Amino acid sequence: MKFIFGLIFTLSMSFTAIGQLNNIDFVEYDLDNGLHVILHNDASTPIVAVSVMYHVGSKNEKPDKTGFAHFFEHLLFEGTENIKRGEYDTYVEEAGGTLNANTSNDRTYYYEVLPSNQLELGLWLESERMLHAKVENVGIETQREVVKEERRLRVDNQPYGTILQETMVRLFKKHPYNWPVIGSMDHLDAAVENDYKQFYNDFYVPNNAVLSIAGDIDIDDARNWIKKYFGSIPKGEGVVYRPNVVEPDMTAEIRDTIYDNIQLPAIIQAYRIPGQGSDEFYACEMLSTLLSRGGSSRFQKSIVEEQQKALQVGSFPLGLEDYSVSLAFAFCNMGIDPSEVEAAMDHEVNRVKTELITDDEFQKLKNQMENDFVSSNSRVAGIAESLANYHMYFGDANLINTELDKYLAVTKEDIMKAAKKYLDPNKRVVLYYLPKQNAQP
Amino acid sequence: MKIRNILMLASVFALIQCSPKTTGKMADKATEATNKVVDNTWRSQTPSAGPARQINMGDFNVEELPNGLTLIVVENHKLPRVSYSLSLKNDQINEGDQAGLVSFAGDLMGRGTKSMSKAEIDAAMDYLGASFSTFGSGMFGSSLTKHQGKLLEVMSDVLMNPLFPKEEFDKILKQNLSGIEQSKSDPNSMAGNVSAAVNFGKNHPYGEINTSETYNNITLTDCKKYVKDYFKPNNAYLTIVGDITLEEAKANASKYFGAWEKGSVPTVSHEMPEGPTEPRVCFTNKDGAVQSVIRITYPVDNKPGNKDIVKTSVMNNILGGGIFSGRLMQNLREDKAYTYGARSNVSSDNLVSTFNASASVRTEVTDSSIVQFLYEMERLTREPVDAKDLQLVKNSMGGSFARSLESPQTLARFARNIHRYKLTTDYYETYLKRLDAVTIADVQNAALKYIKPNKANIVVVGSKDDVAEKLLKFDGDGVIEYFDNFGNKMELNASVIPADINGAVVVNDYISALGGIAKLESLKTLEMHMSMSVMGQSMKVDQFYKKPSSYYLKIGNAQMTMQEIKFDGTTASMSGMGGSESGTEGPVYDQAKSQSNMFDQLGYSSPGYALDVKSIEDVNGESCYKVLVTKPDGDKVTEFYSIKSSLLMKTVENQEGPGGQSVSISTEYSDYKEVDGIPFPHKVKTLGAMPMPIEMTLDGVKLNPIIEDSLFKG
Repeated sequence: MKFIFGLIFTLSMSFTAIGQLNNIDFVEYDLDNGLHVILHNDASTPIVAVSVMYHVGSKNEKPDKTGFAHFFEHLLFEGTENIKRGEYDTYVEEAGGTLNANTSNDRTYYYEVLPSNQLELGLWLESERMLHAKVENVGIETQREVVKEERRLRVDNQPYGTILQETMVRLFKKHPYNWPVIGSMDHLDAAVENDYKQFYNDFYVPNNAVLSIAGDIDIDDARNWIKKYFGSIPKGEGVVYRPNVVEPDMTAEIRDTIYDNIQLPAIIQAYRIPGQGSDEFYACEMLSTLLSRGGSSRFQKSIVEEQQKALQVGSFPLGLEDYSVSLAFAFCNMGIDPSEVEAAMDHEVNRVKTELITDDEFQKLKNQMENDFVSSNSRVAGIAESLANYHMYFGDANLINTELDKYLAVTKEDIMKAAKKYLDPNKRVVLYYLPKQNAQP
Repeated sequence: MKIRNILMLASVFALIQCSPKTTGKMADKATEATNKVVDNTWRSQTPSAGPARQINMGDFNVEELPNGLTLIVVENHKLPRVSYSLSLKNDQINEGDQAGLVSFAGDLMGRGTKSMSKAEIDAAMDYLGASFSTFGSGMFGSSLTKHQGKLLEVMSDVLMNPLFPKEEFDKILKQNLSGIEQSKSDPNSMAGNVSAAVNFGKNHPYGEINTSETYNNITLTDCKKYVKDYFKPNNAYLTIVGDITLEEAKANASKYFGAWEKGSVPTVSHEMPEGPTEPRVCFTNKDGAVQSVIRITYPVDNKPGNKDIVKTSVMNNILGGGIFSGRLMQNLREDKAYTYGARSNVSSDNLVSTFNASASVRTEVTDSSIVQFLYEMERLTREPVDAKDLQLVKNSMGGSFARSLESPQTLARFARNIHRYKLTTDYYETYLKRLDAVTIADVQNAALKYIKPNKANIVVVGSKDDVAEKLLKFDGDGVIEYFDNFGNKMELNASVIPADINGAVVVNDYISALGGIAKLESLKTLEMHMSMSVMGQSMKVDQFYKKPSSYYLKIGNAQMTMQEIKFDGTTASMSGMGGSESGTEGPVYDQAKSQSNMFDQLGYSSPGYALDVKSIEDVNGESCYKVLVTKPDGDKVTEFYSIKSSLLMKTVENQEGPGGQSVSISTEYSDYKEVDGIPFPHKVKTLGAMPMPIEMTLDGVKLNPIIEDSLFKG
């Protein structure tokens, strides 16, 4: 494994801050070229996370050129004017650090965690990537093959690996969330060097990025180095393309069967819910927690433990910028008809729509939210990413300290309302994943 | 099953992580600049590191309670949460013929107290948003600081008043038995078992292998006794980490664990296992395997805190550590592409440690890979390493050490080690200094001491017919030892295949044993009814045959039909939970057609079939001829025929599994009983087709019944 490249389907970047007692202090400012900078000093361990988040994901792609955003996550490790091919990881390993990157529908993220005396190295590596990465045929050819291998490994050959893709293509007819982050291999093959250069020039510009640094840093030194390495990078010339597509409401359920190389049937129920950060999204998140977190949750207790109809049942919100998705799934027990499991899931969802949850259960939800919120950012790498996310999506990095209030403001009635409004059987996608023909038992 | 699904989910939904193959080796070439303006030549200078900052490890406290409980406290107020970890001090005990006892007992302990059921414990922990688990060597709980009182009440109750409910014991047994079945066909588990057995011997606790027999020997009473004997405060650490002061920690420890009564604990001592005196090839057969698992391994003495430990660690990282920089990875993957990954490891353990270098390689390069493993091991003892390689490993290890300190749990672990292994209090504070001081000569000395290519167990799990003979050259005494899946040495039938035995003879003997060609050909129709249990569901399997080539199959029960196949010789149709499909050609047709033969072996004398007697091997204690059958379409199946009865005992074939990988499916036939003069196996066991083995029982057979043709029409 060279780098753990990732396509990240941000589950929601919410659980990422610390209780009010433990405020995370940070400094933020813009460079003249539009690069937004966030600095958090935490000297408890002599390490530093250096990260750049670009506001480009698969939704910024053209429908006939999908997969570009993720492809760049690979391509931009190929080298720059001053960093030879394959040297990104050597620099970092020699410095005693690690590195990683991932891509979602909405953004692309690169980071290094280094000993804190190597901050300048991290800034150099990232500024090189932003200023003059090598976008040329040698690297493009290599990474095309790597990405194809990745697609085979992670999607085509992965049991249930197409769930997200099959869900999104049905849930979104107009909006670019329609296509998968990894994109079309045909599009990548058809694209020429200039298409890639254009994408780089359009999106990999300082005014479309957040430089977020957390760890053992001297704020003044950091500011000086940032000016040195990033200050001279020219601002992007055009306006960054951001789709503004309204997806019409669904009017009838979409139901389909997918045959896959799997052994146990699975059921997917997916609903469109509001974009992350909205009050209703927080309510939907609490709703998912009610249904599926822990041994005492509704789905788990009833369908897995008591009725023993499924091996596993869950529900989670897929937080995205324009529209989010609430996705419930179940793996049926052997010999149980999927429709039986689906009925049991519907029954639990209907209960939430018709009966207000008890005070006890409501308090449990709040406690679980609080615990996750407090525990999540124990590491500087997580803090750097959260700060970047909060700024990029909501223009408010301080949500790292305050977002828990948004969860605690959700009422029992809000949860019921969200269930009624968004978990509407006429506005959902239901997929049955069934094993392909298998002659012998 | 469950664990697999969770893993699956993690990768499907949460974070689709990707590990691309490394970029190919391509020459650099001059490149044109992108549209952006290159600003200055100073950019080509790699920035140098600033002065290294002092690592402030923080403080820990060690105290002892009056009942003998050793308390370790690491204060860290960064986050308002706290964790309590209870861990036993004793070394691992011998479980004898009850291997698995300790883990059963630990799991069971957390499943109910005199006042709380398992469901109530779950509900209480969920309510707090807390996490809690128990295991053979202790228990762990964590929560927000403000909920710690309730968490501690439950932990204390579980520790002091465990109920050991019988029904929970039965569940644990059932789950673990399933786990054993699942691991039977996993080559890595097999290699792990054999390595443990040959490195430590079966009398050492690390050499004890869990099997269904040892699980079945465990009783509820033994579990209770283990907990009673070893869960004593004077035999335990209580490690408290997080948002808490020393005073509060001490008060909580006394309040919730103070009444825990001390007592004597059985002493545990073990002899130090000795490694082999010459290279020893230990082979485990996995018929049809397309990869071999290789482990070069032997026991070493590398106790925590010994004076060589950092040098040994640096030496090992040069050999087989790093992201990509290790020599094994460079050689076996980057240079020769034998494997996706090759690594090595030297463990550090108070009883006995191990050296282990391992990889999964393509079957055909098994011996070539072992050559490279041994070459790299030997080279490290012979040649001084490059100063540059040494520096890279030191930097990488230093960085990793610093990053690990971000978690306060690391410091707590250090504190426990210092106490347990009687290390100097500044042992970890001076780690980086010791790392920095490691020299090229130190690395070579460590290699000379710990790297023993000439005294290693060479454990290989793979296809015996394709691999084993080629490994003779590595073995010191020229005799390969064979082991079963659980590390038991097998006395392989050294019997030579008699000269007058060939494939045709074996198959003809089988046909005779079934009653002879005439008898089998007199069967115009046949009806077989079997039953099986799949994950608690009973299923019936009904099959009908009619010559020349009609076939009907139904699998299901009263509630549902899992699968139905109808074939009238021309059109095949198949339906079931996966939808339905029919046709006069294609995979469904081919499958139905091949199923429609009552006895495959009657066709083996046809042109295009090749039969090859490979060896004599045991199947469930019965000596068998192992025959490789190659069909006209190139498909291969390995069949085992009993020498004594001539009957078919087992078949092994490869099929494409979910995900496109090759899956080896084996089917065992037993309990042969005659029906109207023809012996039929009344028990059939299939491994590899599903995560669990499937056992089928033959309930009834009818020879030459009347079957309407309409049954076979789709």
